[in-house]
Amino acid sequence: MSGQDWQDKLKSALKMDRRSFLKTTAVGSAAIAAGGLTLKPKEAQAFAYEPYPRDNDLTTVVTSCAHNCGSRHMLVAHKKGDVIVRLSTDDGRYQKGGEFGKDTFEEPQLRACLRGRSYRSRLYSQERLLYPMVRTGARGEGKFKRASWDAALDHVAGKMEELKSKYGPTALLDQSYAGASYGVLHKSDQIEGLLGRFLGMYGCRTSSWSVPSYEGTKFSSRITFGTIEDGNEDDTFAHAKLIIMWGWNPAYTFHGGNTFYYMRMAKQQGCKFVLVDPQYTDSASAYDAWWIPIRPNTDAAMMAGMVHHIFANNWQDQNFINKFTQGMDAGTMPDWAKDKENFRDYIFGKYDNTPKTPEWAAEICGVSADDIKKLAQLYATTKPAALKASWAPGRNAYGEQYNRMAAALQAMTGNIGILGGCAEGIGKAWHAEGVAYPYDEFANVFYESIKSDRWAHCVLNYPNVKREDIGLWPGGKAGDGVIPDIRGIFWQGSDWFNQLTNINKEIKAINKLDLVVCNDSTITPSGLYADVLLPVATHFERHDVALPWYKGHYYIHRPKVIEPLGESKTDFQIYTELAYRLGGEQFGKRYNPKANRDYFQHDDAVDNAYLQEWWEHKVMAHQHVEMSWEEFQKRGVYKFKLDRPHVAFQDNVEKGVPWPTASGKIEIFSGQLAQYDDWTKTAYGHEIPAIPKWIVPWEYLGDKEKTVKHPFHLISPHPRHRTHSIFNNVGWLRETYSQEVTINASDAKKLGIKTGDTVEVFNDRGKVVVPAYVTERCMPGVLVLHEGAWLDLDENGIDRSGNPDMLTLDEPSPAGSFAYNTVLANVQKTDLAHKPGWDQLSTARSHVFRRDL
Amino acid sequence: MANETLDKAKVKEAVQRRKKETYTPVIPVQQFGFVHNNVDCIGCRACEIACKDKNGLAPGPRFRRVMYVEGGTYPDVYAYKVNMSCNHCAEPACLPTCPTGAIFKRVKDGIVDIDSSLCIGCRRCEAACPFGAPQFIPDQNIVSKCNMCVDEIDAGRKPYCVQACMMRVLDIGPIDQLRAGTYPTKAVAPHEKVVRQVKSMANPELTNPSIVFVPHSKGIVEDKGAK
Repeated sequence: MSGQDWQDKLKSALKMDRRSFLKTTAVGSAAIAAGGLTLKPKEAQAFAYEPYPRDNDLTTVVTSCAHNCGSRHMLVAHKKGDVIVRLSTDDGRYQKGGEFGKDTFEEPQLRACLRGRSYRSRLYSQERLLYPMVRTGARGEGKFKRASWDAALDHVAGKMEELKSKYGPTALLDQSYAGASYGVLHKSDQIEGLLGRFLGMYGCRTSSWSVPSYEGTKFSSRITFGTIEDGNEDDTFAHAKLIIMWGWNPAYTFHGGNTFYYMRMAKQQGCKFVLVDPQYTDSASAYDAWWIPIRPNTDAAMMAGMVHHIFANNWQDQNFINKFTQGMDAGTMPDWAKDKENFRDYIFGKYDNTPKTPEWAAEICGVSADDIKKLAQLYATTKPAALKASWAPGRNAYGEQYNRMAAALQAMTGNIGILGGCAEGIGKAWHAEGVAYPYDEFANVFYESIKSDRWAHCVLNYPNVKREDIGLWPGGKAGDGVIPDIRGIFWQGSDWFNQLTNINKEIKAINKLDLVVCNDSTITPSGLYADVLLPVATHFERHDVALPWYKGHYYIHRPKVIEPLGESKTDFQIYTELAYRLGGEQFGKRYNPKANRDYFQHDDAVDNAYLQEWWEHKVMAHQHVEMSWEEFQKRGVYKFKLDRPHVAFQDNVEKGVPWPTASGKIEIFSGQLAQYDDWTKTAYGHEIPAIPKWIVPWEYLGDKEKTVKHPFHLISPHPRHRTHSIFNNVGWLRETYSQEVTINASDAKKLGIKTGDTVEVFNDRGKVVVPAYVTERCMPGVLVLHEGAWLDLDENGIDRSGNPDMLTLDEPSPAGSFAYNTVLANVQKTDLAHKPGWDQLSTARSHVFRRDL
Repeated sequence: MANETLDKAKVKEAVQRRKKETYTPVIPVQQFGFVHNNVDCIGCRACEIACKDKNGLAPGPRFRRVMYVEGGTYPDVYAYKVNMSCNHCAEPACLPTCPTGAIFKRVKDGIVDIDSSLCIGCRRCEAACPFGAPQFIPDQNIVSKCNMCVDEIDAGRKPYCVQACMMRVLDIGPIDQLRAGTYPTKAVAPHEKVVRQVKSMANPELTNPSIVFVPHSKGIVEDKGAK
């Protein structure tokens, strides 16, 4: 075949519409000829033998990936019978008006990442939970026996009744989280979740508030802008002239459907990139960024130094400040608060005699004053400029101050509400219709709600616990300030035992509980501590619709691609059945109004009814979508074309729409925070300043005393080869990356550590054993260990997998930030064994081409 | 475990035939090749996983390998990625080493493939390849490698790795057009030029591999520009 032939062939393939494509998959390529296309009507003859089935021999089903990971992409399942043989992804064919290869700026392909592509390995993994199991050994020992659904559910229901009657409506702790689904129906979530609704209706639920990933950032967005929808859509990044990635690594987290790709387009248009981060990340190299290494947990100080330099040179957008902000300077303070601190005077040292100069900041954050000034000037004088203040630096002691400081910078330079600018924060952009499950007055009923990282503290110290110690959320139905008497935990879509801070404390606490129930499709480290394991169908085995994750404007249909493996059921089936067992028809029918008791066996019609109602009454009615539910199901994807690029707060800036804050302005000075008089009655427990401030964290490299014993600052960012703990058991992904601790080359040299050496990382809270990765790409004094490795304890309680949460502290920042990145530790060579959890000998020889050292 | 489907008589016959032949390289009608942007690649390895899933590979053998290169001294550092599978060379070193003639090069597009029904797992090709393309599959006792997803090519599509690339930095095309910069591809930005070799890579004169790269400034090999 000549090159020209091949291009003709590609071109004619492009003309294939969805209908003829489906025909092709059903009856082979003869249908292509029947469809009037120019492809030769013969089977591909590439092989003299048949090593695997070709796409045209397989049934093709559009679905998506499912986890709470940073993006949401299309997966296309190719199946033979009831087995998924392989996965592909969006190639432009499936959307309305689509064709093979279509990949435009407005409607880019939704190409799945490495995690999504490895799904088949997870689906059919050895760790897949197929049957209900009941614990027979000690918690954490991993000894279970198989049980029937009847026996398992009766056991759970019986225990629930016992605990509720003995210990009251706070006895059961809801630790559901977003690990199982980012769909509209089968939701695992704290607020809009199936478990929360179930336990709340049952009348026994202590909820867990706060989001591990971004609680500080969320607080900042809410306080400053009045909303967490402060994000732009991913395509807007293509319009920036300067992108500052502050602790942001989209090459690992992806963060939206195509953010990383649009940033590549920006680079081709001449956009400059800056990375402020202790690590020279793959994002820095791909976008050729100016790398500014910074000491962890000192970001707010560096930003204060930048603010000082911008004000001192009068580079601020004073017009924007006067019009849209509250408390940026004395002139923008509200009348009732003229005597309170304003931000500009704080920066110039009026209240503490400490001007926050670049020189002052340089001492704290380890960045030279010259670099701070240079970056401040670059940001203040480049338009439009996107300062993307990501979540990781917010996962710190006083992390919310960093995000609020960033919002002040974004506002004072007038980079909010304009195309190519950025007000993120949280970064939630286009608003999807997110709820198809029954959402009514029973959703999110809680009797008490505690800060999620304080559960172990609460259990271990009950009843001698102060409300401010556990971040008790006001308004629990149990009463004002009632300390919950937690006796049981329910997990849905949650491996929190492996993921929350200070695991050793959790291990002590869980042994005091009477009931631990784990719904999951995989046997996780958390599951090993459960009393009952209930097997849950994966998203390939149930009907749902996928939502984009924070950035992106599309819906992806998720049909039941295959029948549930083993005896797995959906969470919705399990809670509906439990509701019938606990409260008969009244509870069961009210919990799941469209279903009857036989839902446990037959869920298809009911699930479809919920989804169709959602599509027709929410999507079609509210979002001007004309495509029918039937057509959407047939295509598998709906991509929205927006009238204009989605930029947060554009109408506020252009049309004077007030911000959803009390003052209607961007609140650099927060009226809400300034007016609390009893902080113990708030969820925060302790005072939070009304303006963004640098507050010294409890552990960091600037602490002269603590660094004597623990001279390294450990950070635990999101890995690329896992979604938190999900996918940790996938061999394909394990061979692409190792769980290893990153250490700077000069530090390693002093300690005699070379790449591949096994080291122990430790502090007073715990110890982990991992291999070292020695590099010049990491700031001296900093260790990097990715979160989410599956706990693997030896007899002395030392974790051999390298889970950094053995070392983190379960003390949150007042505003709720999990202090995952506020950790001092030490490192040394060790004779202890690391357990990677898979066969390292099978690593390909070309794993690392060359690490230049 | 041996290759259980192996027909010993057929192999013997193939070896006899092979011994009689003098190897003359196949000149394809059109040579397809890869292009990879070393700088813009974020190194996510979605292409690798897509390849493993497509080809049903267990952990271990890797048809496609994204290799990480890094250097410099803190804080003046750099990093880039070199992404390779089989380069479907014009003069493949693997092909003449094969004692059974299992390795062949397609005339229409120059794709080099291995007929697994003839492979006896001797691993000579593995040693001969300067780029590490042939991969031993222990549980089948054969060597296998990238065949540019010939089934997809024949169906008028592109291979799984290319279709997987989130950054659109990996592509295929007629190699002469890729080298000349005349083939439209998102892998190469308008101002960028491609090269045949990057640092630490085997000399392309050995086998004339069908691959070009957009190199990193630290990865440029002097006097080896685009051909």
